[in-house]
Amino acid sequence: MRTKSGALLLLGTTIVLSACGADKENNTASPSAASPQSSSTASATGSATAAPSDSPAPSAKDPVTLKLMTYTASGQEQTLKAMIDAFQAANADIKVDYEVVPYADYTTKLNTLLAGGSAPDLFEVGYENFLTYAAKDQLLDLTPSIAADSSFKPDVYKKLAYDAFNYNGKQMGVTESFSDVVLFYNKDLFDAEGLAYPDASWTWKEELTAAQKLTDAKKGIWGTYAPIQFYEFYKTIAQNGGGVWSADGKPTLNSPANVEALQWMIDKASKYKVSPPLNDDTFNQPDADLNAFVNGKLAMARFGIWNFAKFSEAKFNWDIALEPGNTQKAHHFFADGLVAAKTTKNADAAWRFMKFFTSAPEAVSKRIEAGWSIPAVTDPAVMDAYYKQKPPESKQVVTDALDSLVLPPVGPKPEKWGEFTAAVGEELDKAKLGRSSAQEALDAAQKRVEALVK
Amino acid sequence: MTGRKKSAADLAAHLFLALLAVALTFPFLWMLMGAFKDNLEVVAMPPRLLPSSWNFDNFSKIEGYFPLYRFFANSALVAVATTLLQLAICTMAAYVFAKIAFKGRQSVFILFLTTMMIPAQVTLVPLFILFSRTDLIDTYAGLILPGIFSAYGTFLLRQSIITIPNELMEAAFIDGASYYRVFFSVIVPLVKPTLSALSIFAFMSSWNNFLWPLIVVNSKELMTLPLGLSKLQGQWSTEWNLLMAGNVVSFVPIFIVFLFAQRYFIKGITMTGIK
Amino acid sequence: MVGQRKWSRRTAAIVFLTPALLCLLAFQLLPMVSSILISFTDWDLLTHWTKMNFIGWDNYAQVFREEKSYTAIRNVFVFLLGYLPSIVVLGTLLAVMLNRPIRGVKVYRAAVFVPVITSWVAVSIVWRWLLNGQSGLINYLLSQVGIQGPIWLQDDFWAMIAIILVTLWKDIGFVSIILLAGLQDISEDYYEAAELDGASPWSKLWRITVPLLSPTLYFVVTISLINSFQLFDQVLIMTNGGPAGATSTIVEQVYRNAFQFNKMGFAAAQSWVLLLIIFVSTLVLQQVQRRWVVYDR
Repeated sequence: MRTKSGALLLLGTTIVLSACGADKENNTASPSAASPQSSSTASATGSATAAPSDSPAPSAKDPVTLKLMTYTASGQEQTLKAMIDAFQAANADIKVDYEVVPYADYTTKLNTLLAGGSAPDLFEVGYENFLTYAAKDQLLDLTPSIAADSSFKPDVYKKLAYDAFNYNGKQMGVTESFSDVVLFYNKDLFDAEGLAYPDASWTWKEELTAAQKLTDAKKGIWGTYAPIQFYEFYKTIAQNGGGVWSADGKPTLNSPANVEALQWMIDKASKYKVSPPLNDDTFNQPDADLNAFVNGKLAMARFGIWNFAKFSEAKFNWDIALEPGNTQKAHHFFADGLVAAKTTKNADAAWRFMKFFTSAPEAVSKRIEAGWSIPAVTDPAVMDAYYKQKPPESKQVVTDALDSLVLPPVGPKPEKWGEFTAAVGEELDKAKLGRSSAQEALDAAQKRVEALVK
Repeated sequence: MTGRKKSAADLAAHLFLALLAVALTFPFLWMLMGAFKDNLEVVAMPPRLLPSSWNFDNFSKIEGYFPLYRFFANSALVAVATTLLQLAICTMAAYVFAKIAFKGRQSVFILFLTTMMIPAQVTLVPLFILFSRTDLIDTYAGLILPGIFSAYGTFLLRQSIITIPNELMEAAFIDGASYYRVFFSVIVPLVKPTLSALSIFAFMSSWNNFLWPLIVVNSKELMTLPLGLSKLQGQWSTEWNLLMAGNVVSFVPIFIVFLFAQRYFIKGITMTGIK
Repeated sequence: MVGQRKWSRRTAAIVFLTPALLCLLAFQLLPMVSSILISFTDWDLLTHWTKMNFIGWDNYAQVFREEKSYTAIRNVFVFLLGYLPSIVVLGTLLAVMLNRPIRGVKVYRAAVFVPVITSWVAVSIVWRWLLNGQSGLINYLLSQVGIQGPIWLQDDFWAMIAIILVTLWKDIGFVSIILLAGLQDISEDYYEAAELDGASPWSKLWRITVPLLSPTLYFVVTISLINSFQLFDQVLIMTNGGPAGATSTIVEQVYRNAFQFNKMGFAAAQSWVLLLIIFVSTLVLQQVQRRWVVYDR
């Protein structure tokens, strides 16, 4: 018995030792052995900071390794890998290690890595979070690299998307992809009722009239749908001439235009009954609204354009149109950017990868082919491939929507974005559950946001 | 008379226990069945328990999504190493707290216990900084080390070792045994049931740990199953059949460990004399 | 000889305690002390840890000023109110049944423990599926007996009840096995003596089982109390603290403030307030147990 427990302890130690041993092996066996790598990074840093204009490419013998962390590649790892392979083939001196982290855990991980000073060289941020990281001085200023790179022209990107990652005159990231939200409609259901398809002239009124005809409670078909949550809210109030912030950065959540818009969001379900009841939690499950559309249970719905691939399996004809507004048009605009950590030791290599990954035709074409997302490039040859992909028939709407875009309303204190959206979201929940009226909910939200930005 | 009364009471106990056992285990049965259904059948109304055909597509599909076997092996390695080390370290400490008196022992023991009350979410970041300063990020050691000590385990083992009569130790000392000898030949054999109970808890918390592996590991070669599960959940939020397949893969090993250790389990907990 | 024994005792204590002490120091105390320091800073987690500013007691003042803190505390007490009495009563009942020498009792003992060994990450997903308002199994079963089930996790009243029920489901096995261990410690002699006196099963339960089980009950209540205050995983995955903050808990807010709202310093202060609450509650419990827990047999 004694020997047995002794053996148990021995076994435990052996396993741990072998685990640590295996790990050491990993380190030394990796293509870039520890010491040459650090010397090459030192030289790269020197050249990037001291003389960015004539930085020589590090010799091909000792590649630098860039770490890339992404969330948008969730489900598109093969595409990501193909894009990285293409880059490595053209840049033998740089190796890129990627990690895909699910969106729900991404901020937790990224912030902890930043706090510990071990951030990846390259990572993704959405526009709404970009401002926070830029303001907190976490990002590498790319302006010197851009100035030094004679082969680079900023107009390869859509100006709007490129400028989104400019902070106080410094370019601190490049736009990797953009997306917007438009009105999707089921053509077959419209045909069955003999209704005209939605077009750019539609307002909420036309939408409601059509939705009332399209709703068929017996078949479980709903005329129109949009969720009640923060993102939908800030766009809908813009369609009614409202907004979250005044021109001088004061919260205006409970303005009459906003209250009216929220009332409209609620009324579609509870008064006009053209949307699923608010206590139907099937529609509150993630993706449930998408599934309902694919199954022909929704005549009209507001969805992101990243869902085209999912809807290609629909057994009916569908198309997209500009969203109806009330007093004006408004469409979501989201941009995901690629940024470099301020702490990166390979600024030059990082810039080369960023440029390639977001604008090189051979890279962004892969993104389009796989239906991952839309690169924000201007090259008509590349974008043609995107516009040719059907359905939907009216793909041009994707670009038309940009004429009336609303950016995420980040407000005067970017670092409070998460807390701000959560606070407003909670009050919207209360309105949705009928615990408070639209006015009461927005009054409460106004009070909370005032306290936040005080 | 009493016999009949007793058998009636037994029957009632059987009924009660069977009902409760079904209620407690049914979600697992439902999970298991869901893992073999296709995406339509899994949400069919009215629901059916058994899948119309047994297909393994869901498992191969998640296997294509992340390196299932690699993650599985990592989880197993980390959990086994953590469990063994934790048992060793906690038993040694518990031996001192129960049987080797020294000045200030009580204060040290209370210090041990207070660490049980702080939520892990807040020590996570300082711990991460420590690991990043010592280059333990993205290593097996980084995954294993934080779990090798447990105040809870030390406490349970101390309670258990205290019940061992001092006379047993004294007899060994008279035979010329040292404290080390006594530890291996008297203490460890006598607390084996408690060790088996603790091994379930240690294995369980390592196997199911999510937050720490999330931040401490970056490369795929080192990732554990909960990270894979969270990837699944991030990608398919309502594809219940795939999610259930992932759950089944993570559940079966720990269930097997439990089946082996549970024989000593109740005895082990009894021995800790919790009171 | 005695001196030698004393010396060897000291070295033995050092040798056996050192690994645990080192771990305690590195993995528990160092982070704990750091978190105390962090709680007095404005750290946002985004800036490097060497660049945080000390701001005195501001974070602590803010904890008591914020309405959300009280929402979280209220929610945790609602949880406790539903969870604690149920787990103690049901756990005791189940333990008494599991203590009967009937055939197959070992299978029952293993079966009730199965939910305990699984992770919240996995079972929360299963329960989200089972509790789905429209396509969930629970509401289907309720509809078979003519009850229209609520939209559990999306309703601000039912969400907390669902969390309580699911937590009971997961924890009851643990509690009842601990209590079973306590029951097996009670000598049969007491029951035999009572039987001779013609005591009813009910009076046996109240006069023998409960008093003699009280030390174990005290342990169970303490552990359950600490766990309840730290309610987090199931909430994060099943309801994300919603709807409308109805299931927001203290640790859930700590997590959100630290990692999503860029308020690490504030989160650290919150968790030390939580620690204080737990500490005071366990002290109160200890005072109570002196009154009614029976130690000598």
